Amino acid sequence: MASSKKKRRETLLAISFLLPNMLGVLTFVIIPVAFSIFLAFSNWDLRLHNMFKSEPMEFVGLENFIRLIWGDEQTFHRFCNWITFQPVDDPEAPLIRGEFLRYLGNTLFLMMGIPFSVGGSLIAAILLSKDTRGGSRGVYLWLIFGSVLIISSIMLAVIGLGSTAMVILLTGLACGILVAGMGGGVTAYRTLFYTPHFTAGVATFLLWKKLYNPGTGPINQALQPVLDQFSAAVNAVPAGVVVNLRWLLLGLLVLLFGGGVRSLRRSWVDGELGGRAMIIPAILLCLPSLVAMIWTFPRSEAWLLIAATGLILLVHLVLMMTKGRDFTPPTNMEGVGSALVLSLGMMVGQFVLLGLAAVTESLPAMAADGLESPGWIADYHWAKPSIMIMGLWGAIGSNNMLLYLAALTNVPQELYEAADIDGAGRLQRFWHVTWPQLAPTTFFIGVMATIYGLQGGFEMARTMTQGGPAGATTTLSYFIYIEGFETGRLAFAAAVAWALFILVFSLTLFNWKFGNKYVND
Amino acid sequence: MKYLFLIIALLLAVASVGIFASFPDVQTDLPVIYWVTDPNPAREEQVLIFHQWLIRNGHGERVELQSPEDVRAFRMRRLTEPIIEAARTANPDGAKMWDGANRYRPVEQIDLPIELVLPATELRLDSANRDTSKKIIQTISGVGSDIMDMGPLRYFVSLGVLTDVTERARELGFDTSRTYQAIVPDLTEVSFNLQTEEYERRQYAFPCNVYVQLLWSNNATFARYGMEPPPRRWTIEEFERIGKELVTRANPPGERHTVFFSSDVDPITLMRSMGLSVYNETLTRCTLDDPRFADTLALLYKWTYEDRLLPSLEDRQSFDTQSGYGGSVLQLFNMGNYAMVRIGRYGLIQFRRFGSMDLSVSEPPHFDFPNTTTGTRCATVYQKSAHPDLALRFLQYLASEDYNMQIVRDADALPPNPKYTDTEAFRRPVDYPNEWGIHEAFSDAARDIAIVNPLSPFVVKRTALRYYFDARGKVMADQASPEEAAADAAAGINAEIDKTLEEQPKLKVRYEEAMQRQKKIDRLREAGQKVPLEWIDNPVLRAYYQYKGWAE
Repeated sequence: MASSKKKRRETLLAISFLLPNMLGVLTFVIIPVAFSIFLAFSNWDLRLHNMFKSEPMEFVGLENFIRLIWGDEQTFHRFCNWITFQPVDDPEAPLIRGEFLRYLGNTLFLMMGIPFSVGGSLIAAILLSKDTRGGSRGVYLWLIFGSVLIISSIMLAVIGLGSTAMVILLTGLACGILVAGMGGGVTAYRTLFYTPHFTAGVATFLLWKKLYNPGTGPINQALQPVLDQFSAAVNAVPAGVVVNLRWLLLGLLVLLFGGGVRSLRRSWVDGELGGRAMIIPAILLCLPSLVAMIWTFPRSEAWLLIAATGLILLVHLVLMMTKGRDFTPPTNMEGVGSALVLSLGMMVGQFVLLGLAAVTESLPAMAADGLESPGWIADYHWAKPSIMIMGLWGAIGSNNMLLYLAALTNVPQELYEAADIDGAGRLQRFWHVTWPQLAPTTFFIGVMATIYGLQGGFEMARTMTQGGPAGATTTLSYFIYIEGFETGRLAFAAAVAWALFILVFSLTLFNWKFGNKYVND
Repeated sequence: MKYLFLIIALLLAVASVGIFASFPDVQTDLPVIYWVTDPNPAREEQVLIFHQWLIRNGHGERVELQSPEDVRAFRMRRLTEPIIEAARTANPDGAKMWDGANRYRPVEQIDLPIELVLPATELRLDSANRDTSKKIIQTISGVGSDIMDMGPLRYFVSLGVLTDVTERARELGFDTSRTYQAIVPDLTEVSFNLQTEEYERRQYAFPCNVYVQLLWSNNATFARYGMEPPPRRWTIEEFERIGKELVTRANPPGERHTVFFSSDVDPITLMRSMGLSVYNETLTRCTLDDPRFADTLALLYKWTYEDRLLPSLEDRQSFDTQSGYGGSVLQLFNMGNYAMVRIGRYGLIQFRRFGSMDLSVSEPPHFDFPNTTTGTRCATVYQKSAHPDLALRFLQYLASEDYNMQIVRDADALPPNPKYTDTEAFRRPVDYPNEWGIHEAFSDAARDIAIVNPLSPFVVKRTALRYYFDARGKVMADQASPEEAAADAAAGINAEIDKTLEEQPKLKVRYEEAMQRQKKIDRLREAGQKVPLEWIDNPVLRAYYQYKGWAE
């Protein structure tokens, strides 16, 4: 009896401790989330429904979701008529597209930086897992080296040879960092690398805004002299030579494509890759060539690309049918994770080559007037890459780096010893030991980065670009803010938010289904 | 653990009491009203003058102190520093009670009796909540500030959070006849009167100041390149010719442009000067899908990227130092990077800090119809204000001589009441002879050519602006031709109008009526006949019709 009384007392006490937090979560998280579901199917508009207005709120079904894609109901009905081969009422009327797709495009574009960010975090973690302490002799050497550099910069400034305060500052800073690392060991570098994470977001955005200043920002100050020299070098070479470099780059693209297809075929032959698991990686590999064909059509490059990639595909298909394993029905998804990582990497590589080929083609014309450094966030084309670069900087020194650092220390040393005995080189050690051992961490980071990527971009858009230029940096989260708090369409904003949730959830499920399997493989 | 929990709970309770005790309302005996406004240093002085004005006009509590006991009792009252400052300076007996540092004099030194008036309210500034989104959320949640500064107020009127002050304004003398007629559309909103069954204009605000945008010239910059400053009124051709000459002289060939003719030009005034507005006569449809808007965008592109008269976004960001009131633009104007800058009379607040600049002003260049943009920072009263009468008293103060002359002195745009621009203090400020001849340009423009930006009741202003800026941005970023961008903007805004009508069926009645009127206007125009002026809701087209003699 006494014991149950005590137990009850303890339970009540525990509840009294938990109650404030539970009430907080209930009031500020669970109820608003549940309410926002109802909201997304209603017509709640601040102009109609608030404490000063008595308009009844109405259920509008899927109307808000239809507006996401088609802009207005008329366009939706016209679309329905069109796909069911029925006559369209007013074919001349303008089509109103929902802004959702445009801003989803911006968000997805910015998310292309995620693989680079994850890679950057991994590289940073690997570097920071090495001991950098150099002993007193090392510190001494770095001190001498640093002093010489700083004195040289000051002397250059004194005699007017162009060294600026910024150069002196950066040189001094770099030397200081090196000396700190040699003296303080890896802890100093880890602290430095982690700095972006505990620095206030808005402050770093403003800092980057200064760095990106097209005229006076340090980035362009450093870049412009390089571009000037590069322009001079390009102008010195005959234009035909530069323009024909694109053939080399397109050739490399075809080689990369061939390498990718060969790897997939081999994995399939070895039984490491299922039949159905090949489909998406193969499509990803073909994507850059398809884009290149569309871009260059109907010029000779297009035909050559069609011929080369088509031939490679044909050869490998024939090889699969003649020398491969039994052609079993494509049912299993085995090995899809590895294949996706490989094909994504190859795809990015192909796109880079494609971009370089396009640049080399117009390089002589561009260099004739001198190359100008980019306008960064003030330029429509550079605004998104600028934000990606900033995101990369932030991601390298983020929690991802810490997670990788922790994961690296957990890799059993016996595996490395076994690899050494088998004669594995550094790259092979990484690819066959470290990378698979890091798979669970990579999976977790990938899932979280995808979620944050889809939800992110608001602070950057609000503080750096206001979503511009011409909407280039308006992400879905900023769009939700605009619709909810500038226009007052809370119901529509809730629909956007739920559409975003569905996207995040679907991607996470996809990651979970295929990525988790890959991790466990 | 439970004791720790209790201690934390106790500490939190004590902290809550401490915070409550620090609330302004608790620190003073007077009712407090809050004014959400910008953090301009002039606001402090305006608050002081308000308190003084209340005292001088007897809007407050009269206190008679006959004996030392009365004084001692009075000294027990909770009065804050700003109230004491006002009471000391505005009451004839104020100096008997307080010394120059607002400290109470010793009771035995006070020459009794004393008569004092304490202001009816204490006005406090709140510049932390001036963000529009904050205002929206706070007002619809019932916790808005008593007085809020606004630009155009249509959105807030549609939320129903502002007090209709029409009748009280007439009683207290701050109705719309006391200010510039050009800005009346920004202070009022049309609503349906159930009794008369007619639409009528209702007042919701009174101006704190009125701005008119003109182009300032730094005459020293023009002189540096051996040129005369531009004339007061000029055409597009003159603008382009003088601008090209200046940038050619100022920027050595092959080098990055560091001197521009003007910080910017408002494309809206350019297209207006061709007779085009964002909306049609009845504000029912967007008319930006018009060759005149496309021409305006093309001209802006040409001036920015080909003639280099105006800075591009990249140039602006290169210059951006983000320092000083008004941003970097005015600093660059002073330094000569911009020969001209587009800003209202309030630019003088910063120019005066630069020293005695040699300045002149021009109207925006025009094709046919000379015009410029005007607007107002106006004060509104929150529907759920705890002290609506005191807040209205503040609006009455905005129409007073005390306040208007403070605006005249401070050059914080134009005073709300135009009659104070006829004073010598406005036209020829004693301390600033270099400005003589400039001030009239603003008051004349406000009377003659200034027009507010039209707002349609069928679309949210910020949404329409988003489409407009998107079109402009696309052309500037080579993402669309001017024609495509113009068509996209119009289609987007018109779709938003349709959406609003779907969302707010009650607006449909008004919309249908306006559409019928629009059809009549179109028929009359097609027939080359005059249109009754009262049919036209769009202030830009009202002015244009009058200018062309198309209205009756």
